[in-house]
Amino acid sequence: MAKRLNDEVWAAGDLLKRLERRDKFFVLDVRNRDECERFRIEGRSPVPAINVPYFEMLELGGKDEMVDSVVACVERELADQLPSDLPILAVCAKGDTSEFVAQGLRRLGYASANLKGGMKAWGEHYATRALIEGPDLAIHQVSRPARGCLSYIVASAGKAIVIDPLRHLQPYLELARERGLTIEAVIDTHGHADHISGGRSLAAETGAPYYLHPYDAIHPIDVLPATIPFEFIRDGQVFPVGRHELEALHIPGHTLGLVAFRLDDKYLFTGDSIFIRSIARPDLGGKAESWAPLHGRSLRRLLDLPGGIMVLPGHFSSLDEADETGRFAASLDDLKKRNDGLVVLQRESEEAFVRYLLESLPRFIPEYVDIKRVNAGLLTPAEEDAATLELGKNVCALSQAYVTSEGVRQ
Amino acid sequence: MSQVFDKLLDARGLNCPMPLVNARKEIGKLEPGQVLKVVATDRGSVADFQGWAKVAKNVELVGQETESAEGASVYVHYVKRTA
Repeated sequence: MAKRLNDEVWAAGDLLKRLERRDKFFVLDVRNRDECERFRIEGRSPVPAINVPYFEMLELGGKDEMVDSVVACVERELADQLPSDLPILAVCAKGDTSEFVAQGLRRLGYASANLKGGMKAWGEHYATRALIEGPDLAIHQVSRPARGCLSYIVASAGKAIVIDPLRHLQPYLELARERGLTIEAVIDTHGHADHISGGRSLAAETGAPYYLHPYDAIHPIDVLPATIPFEFIRDGQVFPVGRHELEALHIPGHTLGLVAFRLDDKYLFTGDSIFIRSIARPDLGGKAESWAPLHGRSLRRLLDLPGGIMVLPGHFSSLDEADETGRFAASLDDLKKRNDGLVVLQRESEEAFVRYLLESLPRFIPEYVDIKRVNAGLLTPAEEDAATLELGKNVCALSQAYVTSEGVRQ
Repeated sequence: MSQVFDKLLDARGLNCPMPLVNARKEIGKLEPGQVLKVVATDRGSVADFQGWAKVAKNVELVGQETESAEGASVYVHYVKRTA
């Protein structure tokens, strides 16, 4: 048997550390099967796991109390599926039921911990890392690791621009307060489909203007105009931030109003165009065949930028896309060699690349239509509904991004 | 729909897994054919009672409702002991 753990409650941040270090542990997930299907714990390498809903444990164990049922169920039914030499992390939706499960496992001698706050806390965990931090320029990458969403705070001389802020504002407000930054503009690179933008609310909270390309202020499937207040972004527009500036590059494809931002020849905020491992899918507006050629042309425009420019993407599909320090960034030259989509783009004709795009579409996520409505102000969900809409990892890249190095489709 | 029931279990304010753990205990005390009404505020209980009724022996979920009370949602489950 593995030794009893020193820490029997793991907060979301502890889990992230372990995933980044590739620590070995096992997950016993006691949520419903469909919840587990939609949103699982994924690391730099695959995390071994089984899913046994807690109500099945109650019936299989057959005892009145939860912990007693867990003990009886594990003894009778699960002993051969649980490792005796690895820590076992008990996981549920909100972290209460899994505490009973962890207690039951410990009673049987397993080294077991509970994920505090459950998958809700893991899904809403944010990590902030500085990509560069000097007196002249700082860029902070703010991520939601469980969802694979990335956002940025660009700061210079006490001023800041926030790019693609995610739904919870605290990480941005906190960093601005700590560093004494005034947020002067909030920008969405596009109308997001996979997550609820924090753009409007951060703008309202700080008094900064909220910027969006007008093409993304029309819901592509409803063909209805957004009801939210926003300022237009146009191609070539320059946004000063302290002693630097961001230049907008309109690169339609993933959406019609997608905009990348370039900071000199050094940094390129690509939004949903070029990621680290793969590229964005062109079908979330429901118009894949007409948008795919645009996507190809926009990507070629980005390929012409200086090779040393650092790509800072809007998403990742796996934690193993990060460098050893946990940062998601790579030079354009590097990605030309190893990014699945860019390799094909450089090799193939325009027509062949469009075929590649259309043959590489992951399944369409029905919730994404509603999330776009929320972001356009056409739908206002309650907090719990918002959390449910966003549940799980983003699926904004081509399908190749969701196959692990071991060949397992995630 | 207003469902007939024989016993009421108030599980409001209880977090998962307690609404279901307590319902299991109560249903064991009922006679076959009788119905337990469970009132809960835990939203997850809706899917959990559905999943549980599928795997539990001698239990049938005969109805579920969501009611709004003082701005908060209340989730009602009617569980019948079948044997």
